[in-house]
Amino acid sequence: MLAFLQVVIAGLVTGSLYGLLALGIVLIYRTTGVLNFAYGAIAALCTGFCFILITGPHLNFWLALVLTLLFALVIGVILERGFARPVLHTPVFTKAIATLALALVLETIGLAIWPQLASPQHFLTPFEGKALNLHGLYFSAIDLVILVVTALLMLGLHLFLSRTRQGIAMRAMADNLAATRLMGASVGRIFLVVWALSALVAALCGVLLASQQEMVSLQFMDPVLLLAFVGAVLGGLDSLPGALIGGILIGLADNILGFVLAGHTLGPLNISDPGIRETLIFGGFVLVLLFRPQGLWGRALLRRV
Amino acid sequence: MASKHAREQELASLDSVQPGESRASLLQRLSTWRIGLAGLVGIILVALLPTIYDQIFGFSSGFELHNSVTMIAILAIAALAQNVLTGTAAQPSLGNAAFFGVSAYILTWLVSDLNQPFWVGIIVAVLASAALGIIVGGPALRISGAHLAIATLGLVVIAGALLNLWDTTAGRQNYDLSNIPDFLTDDHALYYFVAAILVIVIFLVYHLLRARVGRAWIALRDDETAAEAFGINLTKYKVQAFVISAALTGLAGALWATWATTASSSMSSLDQTIAFLTMIIVGGLGSISGSILGAIFVGFLPILLGQLPSPLALGSVQLQVSTLTTGVYGLLLLLALIFFPSGLSSLGGIGSNLVRRVNKRGGTQ
Repeated sequence: MLAFLQVVIAGLVTGSLYGLLALGIVLIYRTTGVLNFAYGAIAALCTGFCFILITGPHLNFWLALVLTLLFALVIGVILERGFARPVLHTPVFTKAIATLALALVLETIGLAIWPQLASPQHFLTPFEGKALNLHGLYFSAIDLVILVVTALLMLGLHLFLSRTRQGIAMRAMADNLAATRLMGASVGRIFLVVWALSALVAALCGVLLASQQEMVSLQFMDPVLLLAFVGAVLGGLDSLPGALIGGILIGLADNILGFVLAGHTLGPLNISDPGIRETLIFGGFVLVLLFRPQGLWGRALLRRV
Repeated sequence: MASKHAREQELASLDSVQPGESRASLLQRLSTWRIGLAGLVGIILVALLPTIYDQIFGFSSGFELHNSVTMIAILAIAALAQNVLTGTAAQPSLGNAAFFGVSAYILTWLVSDLNQPFWVGIIVAVLASAALGIIVGGPALRISGAHLAIATLGLVVIAGALLNLWDTTAGRQNYDLSNIPDFLTDDHALYYFVAAILVIVIFLVYHLLRARVGRAWIALRDDETAAEAFGINLTKYKVQAFVISAALTGLAGALWATWATTASSSMSSLDQTIAFLTMIIVGGLGSISGSILGAIFVGFLPILLGQLPSPLALGSVQLQVSTLTTGVYGLLLLLALIFFPSGLSSLGGIGSNLVRRVNKRGGTQ
């Protein structure tokens, strides 16, 4: 029982990370219609920057983190002006492919500047080795940080989107771009804010994930990104809480399946292989979509005639 | 707004160009004739290519052109398959790489492990891909857009992971395809074999797009609701698109395994998906010539970049060419998307538009 609870906690933590990534993905998709496959590359680039600041000039972790978040804002702005603007009027599918290309470019730029990040490097944080023991339940410091940051970020985003002018304009834009423009909102500026904000979430998520895995490389987001996308789609791709819950569900499923299947074999087949786990998760995901094509919390798609 | 205006103008100008039926039908016949001629020239060129190349560069040059062209022809088949599904029937499938990989494994399993004849292997592999296409096409009826893209991408990742698991369970490093018929072990023969299949596939797809199925796909691409209202059976045509695309991709996968003499789980991966999509988007969505241009782009670019010295020094930065290839590939893809959003095949369209405009001006004066 205790072991199972421990697994559920681990699932909540990884799920929060997936959920945060899904949040960033949905934020961009809802407002600008870009299905951003470069999200992992953005996160990895920012985390790499943080790693370099810590190991190169031996900056304090917190100072490096602040600089990384600023760096993420700059990256977001550059991407909006240099990438999202030129492809703004192309079809959704073309935009999605463009982000795949962008991911390749960003990764190459990262490898060119920091060749050492081609292979996994140790990511040293002040949380390493610290843990809390509650009646046999084991919480590592980074897990607690992840849960707290996720909750705060979700709350902050919610307040931003529901209470501030910018946030309300952002939601209006997701519904109807032309009308929002006519109401006098500066659509260009909102696009900038959206990209900067989602890059910020990506950077936070990357640093958290690297701290948890205690390692970083330029490809370290790749296996996580796809599951984050699944979480986002499961949540419906148009609701922020949905994305977070979708991500958490995926994280829970991932950990619980790993726990249940561990050490079992089926004939010569090793069913504790991650491949089997992924297959089961995707199978379940497709099943859910068959019954609710719009995702668990998405609004049904209306076709206008 | 501007584009609508331009379209109206274009329509108006089209009306004014046609003084009578005869001229329009003459033009139409001319263009059909031209396509036939282009096809014929293409076939002759493809047939003579290895001979010409060998005449110029000799047999033992390091860069084996026909080998690369064989690969490009296989890619072109996969591009046509993706284009039928995504460009024509508007199904945003990121899952074609799964058919590509699974088919290669089935062929290798049947031919190498079960000692079945090669032809049986190819036919079973293609049929199995088509069956997989039905399985994927079913959910696609309910799921659409970005949701479908992610679900099909999941299929690729699952297929890749399971094929890899099969490799590790069987305890093998490479899954080599042995027992290939003798005549296909010769590079030149394989080249002609693949080229012939490509020509047949082009012919098939060309006529498919003009048949009832193709017109139904185009209708449902342009407006699903309107197509349904006109009595087009969405279920039937969507599933058909998936099945045909899966079968053709499976054919390409089986040929790829024959060409590489090995099946690998990387054939069903995100990278392969990117390659397929790059081909049709750089080439041109829904266009046959675009699929081939895209295959040439995707096939030749790594070869050309591979000719660069490695590591390459840019100022103080040392770059491995393999790294650079990925980046340049991505950059060119981005530039192509930004500057030619309708693909390389539209460049020809721009040319003929110009010609038409010049002709028209000459005519009115």
